[in-house]
Amino acid sequence: MGRSVDVVEQERVAKLATPSGSRELSVDLRGRLGDWPLFVLFVTPNLLLLIVFTYWPLLYNAYLSLMQWDLISPVKLFVGFENYRFLLEDNEFREVFRNTVVFTVGTVGGTVILGLLFALLLDQPLRGIALARGVVFAPYVLSGAAVAVFWINMLNPRFGVVAQVASWLGTVSPNWLNHPQLAMVAVILVYVWKNVGFTTIVYLAGLQRIPQELYEAATVDGAGIVERFRYVTLPQLGPITLFLLVVSTISSFQAFDLIKVLTNGGPVNATTTWLFYIWEQGFVAFNAGRAAAAAVLLFVFLAVISFLQVRMGERRVSYD
Amino acid sequence: MPERLTRRRVLLLTLGGLSGAALLAACGQGQATPTPMPAGGSAAPSPTPAQASGATASPTAPAVVKTPGSTVKVVYWGSFSGVLGEAEQGMVKRFNESQNEVQVDYQYQGNYEETAQKLTQALAAGTTPDIVLLSDVWWFKFYLNDVLLPLNDLFAASQIDTKDYVDPLIEEGTRKEVIYWVPFARSTPLFYYNKQVWQEAGLPDRGPKTWQEFTEWVPKLVKTEGGKTVRYAFVHPSAASYIAWLFQPVVWQWGGRYSDPDFTIRIQEDPAVEAGRFYLASVKDGWAVGSKDIVAEFVNGAAVAMMASTASLRGILKSATFPVGTAFLPEGPKGFGCCTGGSGLAILKNKPKEIQQAAFKYLAFATAPEHTMWWSQNTGYMPVRKSATASQEMQQFYQQNPNFKTAVEQLPKTRPQDAARVWIPNGDQIIGKGLERVTVQFEDPATVFADVAATLTREAKPVVEQLKRREGY
Repeated sequence: MGRSVDVVEQERVAKLATPSGSRELSVDLRGRLGDWPLFVLFVTPNLLLLIVFTYWPLLYNAYLSLMQWDLISPVKLFVGFENYRFLLEDNEFREVFRNTVVFTVGTVGGTVILGLLFALLLDQPLRGIALARGVVFAPYVLSGAAVAVFWINMLNPRFGVVAQVASWLGTVSPNWLNHPQLAMVAVILVYVWKNVGFTTIVYLAGLQRIPQELYEAATVDGAGIVERFRYVTLPQLGPITLFLLVVSTISSFQAFDLIKVLTNGGPVNATTTWLFYIWEQGFVAFNAGRAAAAAVLLFVFLAVISFLQVRMGERRVSYD
Repeated sequence: MPERLTRRRVLLLTLGGLSGAALLAACGQGQATPTPMPAGGSAAPSPTPAQASGATASPTAPAVVKTPGSTVKVVYWGSFSGVLGEAEQGMVKRFNESQNEVQVDYQYQGNYEETAQKLTQALAAGTTPDIVLLSDVWWFKFYLNDVLLPLNDLFAASQIDTKDYVDPLIEEGTRKEVIYWVPFARSTPLFYYNKQVWQEAGLPDRGPKTWQEFTEWVPKLVKTEGGKTVRYAFVHPSAASYIAWLFQPVVWQWGGRYSDPDFTIRIQEDPAVEAGRFYLASVKDGWAVGSKDIVAEFVNGAAVAMMASTASLRGILKSATFPVGTAFLPEGPKGFGCCTGGSGLAILKNKPKEIQQAAFKYLAFATAPEHTMWWSQNTGYMPVRKSATASQEMQQFYQQNPNFKTAVEQLPKTRPQDAARVWIPNGDQIIGKGLERVTVQFEDPATVFADVAATLTREAKPVVEQLKRREGY
């Protein structure tokens, strides 16, 4: 890191050296007040967008979570923490929580592990590899609703492709999307199919950044292909894996379009995830307060998860 | 030297991804394009009458409308797609071409639920349409919140005899003698059957008189191949395709009800539970199946009978490759039962007078005898005017298309639906999801309906309070 910094700068940094990195940063900025206007100029547009579209709705949502309101009535009834109490005691919400955990573990695990496998395959110097890379990445750029409609037809138990394949194998395709357990499996599979391209591309970039010398050194030390993967590739991909875990978890929690079109959260509530539940409570059942409370709980839950992931990463992941 | 990922870089990337996702989420909300709300008379009379549109005219400038050659624009939100959507667009086109004072802009909003959702959001944003199609389960919510225009004066001013509307249909949208919701696309459930399979099975060419009789026919209708059922006798819809609407008459046929008019919930009581057990037996015994699209199953021959709306009739006749029969619903242990359903038109309050009048012009046109006839023949919905049903043209049509007649003949035997489904917001889906637990997850109706009753009772509370505020009792 320090290699590109010139000597004068090095001395200055050494003088300012303090135990905490953030203090170092602020002192650094104060020392060069001249950059402030430029800084403000660059930050303001984005900050304004965040305030209008993220922070203000966040606060307003917290306020709504204490109300009973049907989204039209001019009267918002203050109910305190009643909505939170309801959610924490509700069986349906417990089921939604379970569904969310299954969906998140399935989709994050699926995309990260498959992504790594695909990346390893696509990293090989084979003919037509560029085409293969394109094929793997393509579903990621498709619209979720279109993917869902396509898969509804694929999974149709009577005339879908999956049913065809099943009949060649001498069995009958289950009714994937209307089955109490298989519906969730199907939704996870479709989600992984659509999103694995993203993790693959990121991993591929990561693989190509691993210096060749490390592999050469490992080979000289007598490491076989398994050892090279275990002791060179995996540790080198650590930061990327952490990044992918955090980002995939968050986008998995945001999944909506696929679920809405594929199963509409059903049968019954079998594929209703946390976010889907918030939408359903808010905009189908018009329980604005209950939906807001569920959103606040999701926010807290996600914050904790992200914190834990980064914390764990700090201990496990090496950046060198 | 290749760029390395540092810890700070990973954090930055992560944060970037987060805020990007948040922005996307914020911008993802579908933006409706309705008329702007009149800004309390601040919009001055339009400078050039030729360009004047009703949407921008101020309430204090009714003269604009009377300017010859000018038109009032009216935004209409509807819910029809496919065959029904074509008919709906046809209706709007006929209206726009029939006169040059009012121009209706028809905007499809998705199904009934989505239309109600968008109207709710539009009310919050102050950007509502002028006229809107609301289903039997949604208009009441908007009535409770007092956003629908009372229509009696407009009916009187247009000299339309409201007595010509079919009584049970117009009464449903009337509260304390004030009309808010005018029947337009009204339906009843029908029993549909596949005449070809009926014939092959040697059954009489009619629907079963009772469910008992139907279960006796079942072995002749179900077809299995290699131990797997390839043809079912009957198909149940999902919550989203209104199983709670189609189960309503069955509950009555078993002598039960969802609720009393005062929101006392009755679905957990024995008669309704027994009706639920009949549904459970139908799927457990393997002659019926739950599906998200019953019409598709029927048309593809995967199921040979179903209860479905009259509104599906035109579409089914168009796509079925076999002759289709329609019949009254079968009777249960406690006799006959059937409900009405569908949707009607309402006009939004808080609009300038000339917009309301223009919107009413369309409402009157679409439900006028000659147009309700045209609509009925092109969809399967029932004519909403007595004079239309009695007319020679309609009678002739019925002779040539006996399937279209079934609903009209069944209509006098129908009754209004129970409050739990139509007046509790989302009551339809609460009951529907309960029924899915029976038809898809094979759970015992006694347990399921007890849960449903608890939810309905809880969700009814705010409605009762609102109703007290609105109607004062």
